Amino acid sequence: MTQPVTPDLSARVGSVLLKNPVMSASGTFGYGLEFTPFYDISRLGAVIVKGLSLLPTPGNAPGRIVETPAGMLNAIGLQNIGVERFVNEVAPRLDDAGATYVANIYGRTIEEYEAVARRLSEVPALAAIELNASCPNVKEGGLAFGSNPEGLSGLTRRVRAATGKPLWVKLSPNVSDIGAIARAAEEAGADAVTLINTIVGMAVDPRTRRPKLSNVTGGLSGPAIKPVALRMVWEACRAVKIPVIGIGGIQDAGDALEFLLVGAAAVQVGTANFRNPNACVEIVDGIRDFFVREKIFRLDDYRGTIRLRD
Amino acid sequence: MPQGSPRFVHGKILHNSGSGIFYRMEVAIPERIDFVPGQFAMVSGWPGNDPLLPRPLAIFRSGGVRGKGTVEFVYKVVGRGTALLSGLHAGDPLALTLPLGHGFEFPGEDRSWWLVGGGVGFSSVFPAAVALEGQRADFEIFLGARTRDQLPPGEWIPGGAVPGRVHLCTDDGTAGFFGTVAAALRDRIDRRKSTGPSRVAILACGPREMLKAVTELALPLDIRVQVSLESSMACGFGVCWGCVTAIRDGEKSGYRRVCREGPVFDAREVIW
Repeated sequence: MTQPVTPDLSARVGSVLLKNPVMSASGTFGYGLEFTPFYDISRLGAVIVKGLSLLPTPGNAPGRIVETPAGMLNAIGLQNIGVERFVNEVAPRLDDAGATYVANIYGRTIEEYEAVARRLSEVPALAAIELNASCPNVKEGGLAFGSNPEGLSGLTRRVRAATGKPLWVKLSPNVSDIGAIARAAEEAGADAVTLINTIVGMAVDPRTRRPKLSNVTGGLSGPAIKPVALRMVWEACRAVKIPVIGIGGIQDAGDALEFLLVGAAAVQVGTANFRNPNACVEIVDGIRDFFVREKIFRLDDYRGTIRLRD
Repeated sequence: MPQGSPRFVHGKILHNSGSGIFYRMEVAIPERIDFVPGQFAMVSGWPGNDPLLPRPLAIFRSGGVRGKGTVEFVYKVVGRGTALLSGLHAGDPLALTLPLGHGFEFPGEDRSWWLVGGGVGFSSVFPAAVALEGQRADFEIFLGARTRDQLPPGEWIPGGAVPGRVHLCTDDGTAGFFGTVAAALRDRIDRRKSTGPSRVAILACGPREMLKAVTELALPLDIRVQVSLESSMACGFGVCWGCVTAIRDGEKSGYRRVCREGPVFDAREVIW
């Protein structure tokens, strides 16, 4: 009997080499440290921290979340501690934890995006900056910039010039042509695109006649959106040459493998973290087990190998 | 900050039985856990993705020997998640994240404790009663509900056998005091005045309107109140920021997470 070969799960997103293709999604993983009671967060491909703005942000009034069939709506409103506290208090602890980490950023204006990116450029271990051009829950969440190719291109170009860090651009699904949006990010200098962010949705209470979210609308996430996300990731993979990071409704290793199969360079896991704090590491282990069973030795041998016709 | 380090564990139901709309469930878990009264667990056990999110349940009791643990919950069937939980049987698997949140605090000074539970809120104050019973502390329990059949079974109430210790209140007068829990407390405060003052502190859990009424009654009388708030939660351990409530903290105010900085807050801090 020969020992099974441990597959090489390392994933390359542009110049960033990840030990495996599984990352936590921004907004579903706090600042990463909240998960250290559950497991060693350095086991993840990367931790994407909660969206950071120039100044601390209070977020939206409650109610902020509503459960929906196989999903949830959220309208948190990007409550966060601001970039300074992240740089001074959180980043050193992520360094100590040995984590690979990426900062998701947003601004009310392009100048604020630039300022946050510049400040984060001073964090040596920060692997990349993920530009949130797609939060549906605040007017300033970037969707104004990210919902059309021209706006996204302008924002990406300016932030690209403000930082030497790898720049990933997180795209909105609330557009008619995801390929055109992804191409706009690529042409403006993005090193990768991440998709999809949440889909705008709504819930109302028939008795009180009021919206269930204080913000009226919110972002839908969870398994309910996976087919839409998978289709959009597949389309984006065909539209651009830069790496595509797949996200949307991934609950287990099987879901993650589907995104890798359509061409995603890596994946992010979001809402599943709420249901199972160990979701991300269980997905890493599940991908490894699948590769062992299927005798796949490298992630690159599997990624993008979807068979569209015989 | 949360008390104790949370764990995600797979457990097995030992028993799960109902009495009216309330259920008691005991679960075997891999290791013994300690918890502070008022702390809770996120619990899921039904197959499939709908409902998607686990349900927060107050921890009623924990135990276990030789590295094996048990945890017990008293819960009310409120919606689909708890309805599915109530349909599970001994031997069924359950996933739990616990212990979570910041529970009740028991400052050392001598005092009497009034434990106030409204609706299913009693499940959060019961473990406080168990703890105070263990310390031989002086406490009374006030339980409020709309009607008699929405009160928990008497035999579940810790210390319920002691005369005068448990005050039941119903909005329709079908059991105990005819009126709200806040009105019953007002009555008790008036009687206390006639029997001489003693330091008293209130621990309360229930609907927000009830907690507000209890707070507005007690704070002007210099009675300290800790309230355990209810909120819709996705994660339960502080990462989704969905469950926040407005809190005043000295000069600062802002949204705090019910699951992490709470669910128990000093009532003076809560912006109702």
